[in-house]
Amino acid sequence: MMRLQETVKSFFRGISIRKKLKPLIVFLATVISIPLLIVAVQSQQPVTVKVLIQALEAAQLEPIVKDFEAENPDINLEIVEAPNDTNKVEDLYTSAFLLGESPYDLVYMDIVWTPKFAAAGWLKDLSDRVSQEELDQFLDGDVNGGMYDGGLYRMPFRSDAGMLYYRSDWLKDAGYEPPETFSELMKISQALQEEGYTDWGYVWQGKQYEGLSAMFVEILEGFDAFWVNPETLEVGLDQPNAIEAVKFLRSTIEENVSPPGVTTYSEEPTRRLFQNGETAFLRNWPYVYGLASESDIAGKFAIKPMPHAPKGSNGACQGGWGMGIAKNTDHPEEAWRVVKYFSQAKTQKKYALQTGYVPSRRELFNDSELVEKYSYLPELLNVIENAVLRPPIAQYSQASDILQRYLSAAIAGTMEPEKAMNAAARETRTLLKRSQS
Amino acid sequence: MKLNSIRQREQLTGWLLSLPALIIFILVFAYPIGRAFWLSLFTENLGTQLEPIFTGLENYARMFGDGRFWNSLGNTAIFTFFSLLLELLFGIIIALVLDQQFRARGIVRTIGILPWALPTAVMGLAWEWIFNDQYGVVNDILRGLGIIDSGITWLGDPTRAMFALILADVWKTTPFIAVILLAGLQAIPQDLYEARSIDGATPIQNFFTITLPLIAPQMIIALLFRFAQAFGIFELVTVMTGGGPAGSTETVSLYIYDTVMRYLDFGYGAALIVITFLILIIAVAIAGFILSKTDVNVTGEQ
Repeated sequence: MMRLQETVKSFFRGISIRKKLKPLIVFLATVISIPLLIVAVQSQQPVTVKVLIQALEAAQLEPIVKDFEAENPDINLEIVEAPNDTNKVEDLYTSAFLLGESPYDLVYMDIVWTPKFAAAGWLKDLSDRVSQEELDQFLDGDVNGGMYDGGLYRMPFRSDAGMLYYRSDWLKDAGYEPPETFSELMKISQALQEEGYTDWGYVWQGKQYEGLSAMFVEILEGFDAFWVNPETLEVGLDQPNAIEAVKFLRSTIEENVSPPGVTTYSEEPTRRLFQNGETAFLRNWPYVYGLASESDIAGKFAIKPMPHAPKGSNGACQGGWGMGIAKNTDHPEEAWRVVKYFSQAKTQKKYALQTGYVPSRRELFNDSELVEKYSYLPELLNVIENAVLRPPIAQYSQASDILQRYLSAAIAGTMEPEKAMNAAARETRTLLKRSQS
Repeated sequence: MKLNSIRQREQLTGWLLSLPALIIFILVFAYPIGRAFWLSLFTENLGTQLEPIFTGLENYARMFGDGRFWNSLGNTAIFTFFSLLLELLFGIIIALVLDQQFRARGIVRTIGILPWALPTAVMGLAWEWIFNDQYGVVNDILRGLGIIDSGITWLGDPTRAMFALILADVWKTTPFIAVILLAGLQAIPQDLYEARSIDGATPIQNFFTITLPLIAPQMIIALLFRFAQAFGIFELVTVMTGGGPAGSTETVSLYIYDTVMRYLDFGYGAALIVITFLILIIAVAIAGFILSKTDVNVTGEQ
């Protein structure tokens, strides 16, 4: 009986001691378990960060994604595959954002989408996260293309710029220096055509599509003209210099330097003409270099910045892709780690080695390993440093569609250059004015 | 007095019974249309940070100076006119054939309706390949017949691309018109033909004096349906030409899609929708007017 009482007593005493210790125990337990819990949660359930990328590039990015996930086991980077037509990808992002809750945490975007997405308020401003010193390591055009209204909305990943390809073997043979001006380009072309080197002198992209606007930006720069001033929203398409630029393009066809079909060519048809030795000069993007180096004309061609008129300067149209963070993502920190990973030199170098795409960090253009594989990179840096942006305005796609329609009519000869450019300027002004009100 | 109150009560019951339908009608049709009209009075686009700003009829004024809108309206009109004309022509012929007594008529009728049952996007893709300049069936046949030497770029030329679109649309929707006309044909009493034959009329005379006038109401209904569809054609054009080359096959609905989805110009897009809607309403009103003038009663009511 006594023993029972003792037991009961000690039992209750134990409880009372525990009662006194309770706050301490709870405190200790909490302190110890927090990091344990975090580790446990992290290792069990990595945060999923989603991004939509066209299928072709999604496949190319696979090794990068694997590396990233190996280094960041707490993040699961999921690439949703989109159609390869970039317009469609833009539409898919647009509808996702219009519906409010976007399923994508990251936005992989073309340089011309950035102002629109930023103006619509779909992207996070990244300027607080990146220092100026960090940004200075990227090409200016790539950084500026990611800016809108003073904020940074896109970190550069890969770059792109238009340039002039020429047949160095023919030029050397016939005793010509590569052309610096448009008139030299025409003169050399006609001479080479007359001497029977080639059927055509110069091919460019004249089809009615985004590539036409990109190509025209370079010609405008060459004639010291402009399309839209992003600061003042002034439209320069109907100024004499711009009309002269259109007349130059049309003259290439009229003087038989460019084939009449050039008004229906996008990048690929022009590349094939160049590779088949049917033209001496070609305006195109860097991707042609790698492909042409594996063709019959390997070693017989070179690149240089676009020529210009005496009053203008050589322009290269800035292209390229980068990453931004969706405004309403639940995982901004994780998304930022992905963006940082993609923009760092190591990743860009690996991707460039693997695919031949052009990096957006200056240092990589003189990287020994990259230069060994792509000998044109130091040259390309000269071209790409001159890169000009298509107007970084929110209504860019609308403005570009207006220009494409009239420019296409002007170079195809269905409209007089003055008339076409006046109409294009008028419609662009209406567009920008309406949007201003 | 008593009779009157009974009538009033009946009317009240009638209204109550149709109330759910009326509410649904207002929610589903009247509200969106009213909302689109309201939105069309505002400027709401990227320039205004997607905030609506009241600008009255400015969107409509802008439409007058918008070459692309008129161009797309013209394309839509050409497409609608030619596809309706051809569909009606072929529809009558097919309906007349299917109306005859012959073996396996049921199977033939089923096969005849198949094109109409196919999803437009799927058959648009098929037609895109049929008209492909390198591998297309059309070019292959023409080459085989010795009509052409090298492939014609069907979808790369403004006129030919429009022709290809019209042909694909005619192929798909002629059966629809044929089925409606067939129903009309079967409602024509045979004794009319017998009486006329006794008078010595030829089948061709019969066709123009009996058949055609008696199926006129069905023709108008079929054309009305088809007009509304053809005027809003979207998938077929998107799949086959995307509105190209150089905007020569861009229809109004494609332009509206671009304005809203790509340019995020919601106010102007709404104004475009309102105008398209008004054009359709006018067409329906004209068709309704003609229907009410025709002697033959379609609905069966007195």
